[in-house]
Amino acid sequence: MLDFLIFAVTMISIWSVVALSLDLQFGLTGLVNFGQILPFALGAYGPAIAAAHGFSLEEGIVLGLVLAAAGGLVVLVPAGRLSQDYWALVSLGAAELFRLLMVNVAPIAGGQDGTAVPRVSDPVVAMVLAVALLAAMLLLARRIDRSPLGRLLRVLREDELLAATLGRNPFRAQAVITLVSWLMAALAGILYAHIVGYVAPSSFTVGETFIVWTALILGGAGSLVGAVVGTAFVQIISVSTRFVADWSGLPFDLVANLRLGVFGLILVLVFLFRREGLFPERKVTIHAADP
Amino acid sequence: MRRFFKAMVGAGLTALTAIGCQPAQAQTKEPIPVGVIANLTGMDVKTSTDMVRGIQIAADTVNKAGGVDGHPVKLIIEDAQYKTQEALNAATKLYDVDKVTAIIMFGGSSIELAVAPIAKQKGKMIVNTSSSSAKLGDFAGTVYSVLPLDDIVGKALGEWVASQGVKSAAFVVPNNTFGTGLMDASAAAFQAKGGKIVAKIAYSEGQPDYRADLQQLVASKPDAIVTTGYGDDSRTVFKNARGLGLKQIWYAGYPSILTVENEAWMNGRLTGVDNGGLTGKVAKEVGEEYAAKYGKDEQPLPHVFYGYDALMLIARAAAAPGGLSSATMGKSVVGYDGATGTITWDDRGQRIDPPIDIISYKDGKFVTVGQK
Repeated sequence: MLDFLIFAVTMISIWSVVALSLDLQFGLTGLVNFGQILPFALGAYGPAIAAAHGFSLEEGIVLGLVLAAAGGLVVLVPAGRLSQDYWALVSLGAAELFRLLMVNVAPIAGGQDGTAVPRVSDPVVAMVLAVALLAAMLLLARRIDRSPLGRLLRVLREDELLAATLGRNPFRAQAVITLVSWLMAALAGILYAHIVGYVAPSSFTVGETFIVWTALILGGAGSLVGAVVGTAFVQIISVSTRFVADWSGLPFDLVANLRLGVFGLILVLVFLFRREGLFPERKVTIHAADP
Repeated sequence: MRRFFKAMVGAGLTALTAIGCQPAQAQTKEPIPVGVIANLTGMDVKTSTDMVRGIQIAADTVNKAGGVDGHPVKLIIEDAQYKTQEALNAATKLYDVDKVTAIIMFGGSSIELAVAPIAKQKGKMIVNTSSSSAKLGDFAGTVYSVLPLDDIVGKALGEWVASQGVKSAAFVVPNNTFGTGLMDASAAAFQAKGGKIVAKIAYSEGQPDYRADLQQLVASKPDAIVTTGYGDDSRTVFKNARGLGLKQIWYAGYPSILTVENEAWMNGRLTGVDNGGLTGKVAKEVGEEYAAKYGKDEQPLPHVFYGYDALMLIARAAAAPGGLSSATMGKSVVGYDGATGTITWDDRGQRIDPPIDIISYKDGKFVTVGQK
């Protein structure tokens, strides 16, 4: 049981980092990204490509970060020209394009079969690494949140035109936060690859992005704690329903569908009765005299 | 609102508490827990469900006969939703909480290949009933397959198509490990026998229409079409092919898992190589048990028999001196003649020399017309 809890904490920590990265974009900046699985996948594919082509572990990590940064810049270009909703579609399409590229071009990293990556075989070490990454990313996100950049991003979220009239360059601020958040998600992807020990396109579907979105909205968009709590909530409900199903005594196929049904019902109830999320964004008051 | 939250927290705590409070088994001897991971929601549900039904029939048979040395087999069935993360959650729960020694898995390959390193590290076993990637052979001592990998079935298909006088063929398969693996192996065998390949189409699964993909068939004018796939997709492919006026014979790998869209159009047009050995004594008994449990109208898929054999092999290995372990599992197939015929594993734990049937679609059903 302890081993299973260690595994659960590890996965919650990794996916919390992805939720945090989305929170910086959407919660803080208002950028709607429907393809946040892409930087996660790009990060994971760094070690995968390195393993498939005989590069070292360090080179794999660097490759993952470079791929995510480059991908972020490429996807960001339309953001300067398109309105928010179109950018949501661009990011969604980019994530799916990358997945299909990995499916169809097997020499890159094994195609649909995927590729094996060196594993962090000790579960405790894996958990410590994941929790440490989450702690570091939380600190970074908090620092951004409380900085002048964070304040500018909030203004951008509420009124882009107002930010421009204040002499700020909205696109530059969006570019900075996109780059930072994509690198965060990439780090989570790199660690995920090394913990699971296997990378394949089936792990990076649009469905994964929407699970992260669910966690973020449920936790409370704009709240860093909310992103982590939302992820933990989604993961725990997903896992704990397996145990409830065990002792229900109902037919296995019915149990499988009921489990998803219960999972969905809980989410709907929370959305109905707690629309602002479990930890809503708090109003921040900043006085002009503050440093 | 506060009450609602209290209720939510209460429900969560109840669920977590339940983890450690599963009801005790009223058995005289401790049960042998066997894990099952299948796609009970998402994709491949019908085939997964049939596989689990086969496992349940086998478990009932073993338990009615007194279990394994008096120990009943206890199945713990988990849903993978055809998602890697869910499969990892399921496998970790089965190994760490339920303490299973062996898991029977219904893939796909990418899911089983993600679980295999964990099983290997823990010194546990996976019995594979559906995935066919050659990479599964890299986990010798961990992954044991009761169905042959793509290279064996694909080779049989390619050689057989060539033997039917087909000079040129176009391939239409789903773009996944199963589809492309079977296509590559059968195309190589077909070419080795002098056949010419005029088109290779690997389509993305789950589309509502495949006419754009199938247009290549019209242009390439093949003598025959070689295919494989799954129920809903294959129905759409056949429908679109009929709409485009294609009149070729369809040669398939595993035609029994395809879904015929129009019986009259497909009559005598679909044939191929499939899992053999399903006409033996054990398969007949399993088929009768299946009919008794689920109704005579429910035609069992071959996966019922693969699931049955998987559990029976685990029971044999558990009954061997030393108990259920990689060493006993490796030897459990010796002398085993199951629902899918005699099983022989190579030193990687992968099935070789499987019985293969030639089946054809005639008058609304598949009939066996020969053996390969």
